[in-house]
Amino acid sequence: MIALPIAQAAVPRGIGLLEWLGDLDTWLGPDGILSSGLDTVTLCAAVMGTGILLALPPAALLAHLRRGELTATALVTLGRAVPTFAVAALLVPVALRRGWGFEPWPIFLALLLLALPPLYLNTYTAIRHVDQGTVDAARAMGFGERSILFRVEFALAISVVFTGIRVAAVQVVATEPIRAFLGGDGLGRYVRDGLGQNNETLIIGGALLIAALAATTSLVVTLLERVTVPHGVRRLRLQTASRRGSIG
Amino acid sequence: MTESAIRLLELTKLFDGAGEPAVTALTLDIPRGSIVALIGPSGCGKTTTLRMINRLIEPTSGRIEIDGEDASLRPVAELRRGIGYVIQEVGLFPHQTVHQNIGTVPRMLRWERARVDERVAELAGLVGLEPEQLGRYPDELSGGQQQRVGVARALAADPPVLLMDEPFGAVDPIVRARLQDELLALQERLRKTIVLVTHDIDEAVKVADRVAVLNVGGILEQYAPPDELLHAPASAFVEEFLGDDREIRRLALKRVGDLPFEQGPVLDIGRAPAEARALLDDARSEWIGLTSGGSFVGWAHRDHVEEAATLAALPRELPAAQVRASSTLREAMEVIMNSRTSVAVIDDGGRFGGIVTLEQIRSGLAGRDA
Ligand SMILES: Nc1ncnc2c1ncn2[C@@H]1O[C@H](COP(=O)(O)OP(=O)(O)OP(=O)(O)O)[C@@H](O)[C@H]1O
Ligand SMILES: [Mg+2]
Repeated sequence: MIALPIAQAAVPRGIGLLEWLGDLDTWLGPDGILSSGLDTVTLCAAVMGTGILLALPPAALLAHLRRGELTATALVTLGRAVPTFAVAALLVPVALRRGWGFEPWPIFLALLLLALPPLYLNTYTAIRHVDQGTVDAARAMGFGERSILFRVEFALAISVVFTGIRVAAVQVVATEPIRAFLGGDGLGRYVRDGLGQNNETLIIGGALLIAALAATTSLVVTLLERVTVPHGVRRLRLQTASRRGSIG
Repeated sequence: MTESAIRLLELTKLFDGAGEPAVTALTLDIPRGSIVALIGPSGCGKTTTLRMINRLIEPTSGRIEIDGEDASLRPVAELRRGIGYVIQEVGLFPHQTVHQNIGTVPRMLRWERARVDERVAELAGLVGLEPEQLGRYPDELSGGQQQRVGVARALAADPPVLLMDEPFGAVDPIVRARLQDELLALQERLRKTIVLVTHDIDEAVKVADRVAVLNVGGILEQYAPPDELLHAPASAFVEEFLGDDREIRRLALKRVGDLPFEQGPVLDIGRAPAEARALLDDARSEWIGLTSGGSFVGWAHRDHVEEAATLAALPRELPAAQVRASSTLREAMEVIMNSRTSVAVIDDGGRFGGIVTLEQIRSGLAGRDA
């Protein structure tokens, strides 16, 4: 994964966007879009997987126990203020000194920091907002605390949790390309190379690819929600969406 | 007094950080198969008391016995499955259909699917839900219908005890009255032990067999059957809480059939006019009631009786003000107030069953027993 010196995508200056995108080599080559895209997707998936594992359990548990309201509010303010690029850049020397190499640890950690607040917050608030009467009724029917958390609170919160996942994923995918400016590759390489070579086609093409991946990500999460969330919960979302905006 | 299903013994709850207990040394015997209402001003500890029974709140001291057994010694989930809980917020699972909601506890008890379905259908019928409503989601029902689902869900595993916290507080007065009637009809069949929290003295008086009036701090002021409560408040607090019209409220507790039978100035139309005149003089009445074949047919005025050849020929004034033996004295009084005769006729399934006068109603209230 050590990527110095950076292999530049060599593309003739005069080539048009369609011509570039229409070339099979652009897609399939060793530095092609597919392999760069895979790099990006792999990193983003790793960030999201780690983020979900780190954020959801404590958020759900604290919300169930009705604790940590302040942590949640602090996270909103803090999370939105963290400059991802600066964090990643600052982490580069740290990673190097520790012998982790240039890549991809700094960007991984910076993206994780970006993903955690929406994941944590949406889960926390969604579970906190589950109607107390419903929870009470469940408890009175003999539901254990674990059943209440999973079968009532989490079940009712799941749509908003998915909103958090979607927001985080789109942000992560849209931000991941800064990796190309921190010694890595991924989809951001085309914009970087385009800038370096003063090649407009590469810049525009690269930007379009990033936008397309972000849009696809949003779609994929939505589809995932479709398949995993039962009808009864999903129809609630349609109703509450108009009553109360979810946090994102 | 019958055997008690639930006994609260010196029950006290002091919430963390609170200066005064929310419930103070409350002792209460709740007879099996009866409805007991807890009533009192807001914040007097009604909900806290109720929630200590199913251990949603643990008491600070004191004890709860259910069927003679210390409730704190039973596994909490098992205890709660034997106690239905109905709350004002209803607390239905919004992501589940009515059918799924009602079947929650049976499914938790791992009943077979067919048995759950059967039970759900049975309960739906019991609480007056239409079969087509079972497939709907809670938000697709009216408030009253949701409350019925809440009751059905609480009854699903046939718990012997039902706790109800202002169950009808969120619906309008007409629906509330209907739900109260349905609860009484249900109780007629099921004979559960029900503890009902309410703000509404009329509700307590209407549905409860015994009423516990609590003062702030969960201090028991009086625990008595409704009629006794209204007739003989044990303290100034209870008296004030019940209001000035408490004697009038008692009218709603007694039925026309409870009054002693009074024939009144009523004769069969086959009798002689002379008998009618004698009867009118005796009763010092302006009107005479006529029956035919045992049914009441109308009132005739004294003036006409003087000149009539037969009673059958008398002009009759209809309709007669009628009440049933099952009508409350309050209803009877209303009927009388609205009639010209100041007397109501008891219609006992088509047959003349006597008359009711204001005087009778008044003396009916004087006695303490219903
Ligand atoms: N979880 C709690 N923690 C602290 N105090 C509580 C808690 N629950 C209730 N209280 C207090 O205990 C007292 C009794 O409350 P409770 O809910 O039992 O009243 P209530 O009689 O049901 O009132 P209402 O008619 O308004 O429902 C109140 O002063 C209330 O503020
Ligand atoms: Mg209450």
